[in-house]
Amino acid sequence: MDLNSIKPDQTLDAKGLSCPMPLLRTKKAINGINSGQILEVLGTDPGSKNDLPSWCERSGHTCLGNVDDVGFFRIFIKKG
Amino acid sequence: MSDNVFAAKAKGLYQILCQDNWGKNTVAILVALLSILMLVWDRPWGAVGAVRNWGEWIIYGTGLWDLLGFADVYDSDTPKAFLTHSGSVIGIGFIGGAFLSACLGGNFAIRIPPKLEMVKAVFAGLFMGAGATLAGGCNVGGFYNAIGNLSAHGFAMMVGLIIGAIIGLKYVYWEMENISWGVSGGKTIDLPVALQIIFGIAALVALLAGAYSYSNGDIEKLGGILLITALLGYAFQRGRWCMIQGFREPHMTGNAKMAKSVALSIAILAVGIAIVKSKYVGLSDMNGNSMDYFWQHYVRGTFGWGGVVGGILFAFGAIQAGGCGTGTLWRVGEGQIKLWIVTPFFGLSCAVGSMLSRKYNWEGSIDEGSSLGSYVYLPHSLGYGGTLALIFLVMGAWYLIVAWNEETNKLMLEM
Repeated sequence: MDLNSIKPDQTLDAKGLSCPMPLLRTKKAINGINSGQILEVLGTDPGSKNDLPSWCERSGHTCLGNVDDVGFFRIFIKKG
Repeated sequence: MSDNVFAAKAKGLYQILCQDNWGKNTVAILVALLSILMLVWDRPWGAVGAVRNWGEWIIYGTGLWDLLGFADVYDSDTPKAFLTHSGSVIGIGFIGGAFLSACLGGNFAIRIPPKLEMVKAVFAGLFMGAGATLAGGCNVGGFYNAIGNLSAHGFAMMVGLIIGAIIGLKYVYWEMENISWGVSGGKTIDLPVALQIIFGIAALVALLAGAYSYSNGDIEKLGGILLITALLGYAFQRGRWCMIQGFREPHMTGNAKMAKSVALSIAILAVGIAIVKSKYVGLSDMNGNSMDYFWQHYVRGTFGWGGVVGGILFAFGAIQAGGCGTGTLWRVGEGQIKLWIVTPFFGLSCAVGSMLSRKYNWEGSIDEGSSLGSYVYLPHSLGYGGTLALIFLVMGAWYLIVAWNEETNKLMLEM
C-alpha cells in the first residue's frame, strides 16, 4: 500500500510529546473513530515507531506503517 | 567483488552496533554485566549522585549556598567539583554515551515539547528528587542496584514504585480528560545525518580524551567510570531501556516486555554482586583497615516507610516526566527538551533533600540506625544463598504476574 496516498479519517498531532503521551493520545483518539477507519498520528518521539505498532498488535488494530516528513513522521493506524 | 562483500559486511556491522534498536533482553544482560564491572572497578553506579551534584552547583550559582545552610552542613564553601566527583562523572559518562548512540543512529534532534509538558517537567523533577531522597536513590540506587547489591531497601522502593506508577497513570488519564491548555504546539529541529555523525565522533573523542585525562594521580579510577557509564548510556539509548516503563506498561497497555527484562537483569546482577561482595566480607586492606565499606556499598537505611513513600513519589514524578533517573538522562542525550527541564529540577530537589537529610540526620548510619527505615544487608539475615533465593523468587513472581496480565489484562487501568 502506498502510504502517501492514504486519506486518513482523523489526524492526531502528537508532535513534541514524549513517552507515554503519544500512545495515550492515540488510544483516546482511536475510541473516537469507527472500525475500518484510519487514524493518522503525527509524532516526533522515536519510541513511538516501536510502541505504536506493538500496541496495535496487542489491541487488534492494524498499523499500516510510517512515513517520514520534514521534522516529524506520520504513522497510520486502521481501527480493528 | 570481494571488496564489495567486505564493505557490505562492514556496513552491516555498523548498522547492528549503531543503528538497530537492540532487544530489551540484550540490553538487560549488558546492563547487569556493566553494573557488576562498575562495582569491581570502583563503586556501584547510580543517577542521583550526578543530578544532586549539578543541583548543588545551580544553588551555588544563584548565591544561595550559604544562605540555605549548605556551607554549614557540608563544611565547604563550594559543592564538589563536577569533573572529579565520581557521581557527577557517572552522569556525564551516561549522557555522553546516550548522545553518542543517538547521533550515530541518526536519532538526535532538538525536540521541543508543548507548554503543558514543560510545566509538568518542573513538577516531575521536584517529585523525583523528593522520592529519591527518601528511598535512598532513584530507580537505580534505590531499586535496581539496591536489590542487585543485596540490600533490602530495594524491595521497599519496588513496592512504592508499583503504587506510584499506578497513581501517576491515573493522574495522566485525568489530565487528558480535564486539561486542554498547552497540549499541542511541539516542534522538532532535525539535524542533518552527516552533522549528527560528526557530533557523534566528537563525543567519542571527548569521552576517550576525558578518560585519558584522568589517568594520572589519585583520580585514575574516574577514567574507567567515565567509559563504563558511557557504555551503559549507549546501551540504554540503543535499546530504549526505560525501567519506569516496566512499572507503567502492565497497567497501560499490558505489554510486559520491559518488566520482564528488568527482572532478568536484576537476577543476573545479584548473582554477580553476591560473588564479588562475598569475597570482601571480614577483610582488611594492606594497612589493616577494615574493608567493610565494600559490602556496605548501596546498603541504605531506607528499608521501611522511606523506601515505600519515596518510591511512590519518585514513580509519580517519573510517569509525569516520561523517564526515571536513567530514562531521563538518556533522553537528555537524544535532545528531548522536556527532560532537559526535568534534570535541573530533579537535581535541585535532590540537593535540598540530601542536605536536609544530612542536617537532621534522617538516615543516621549503619551502626546507629535510620529514621527512614532500617539498614538491612540481606546476606546477614539470610546468607548469600538465601538472599539469591529470595531475589529470584521476587523477580520470578514479578515476571509471572506481568506475563499473566499480558494475556488476561486483569491489572489494566481503563481510560
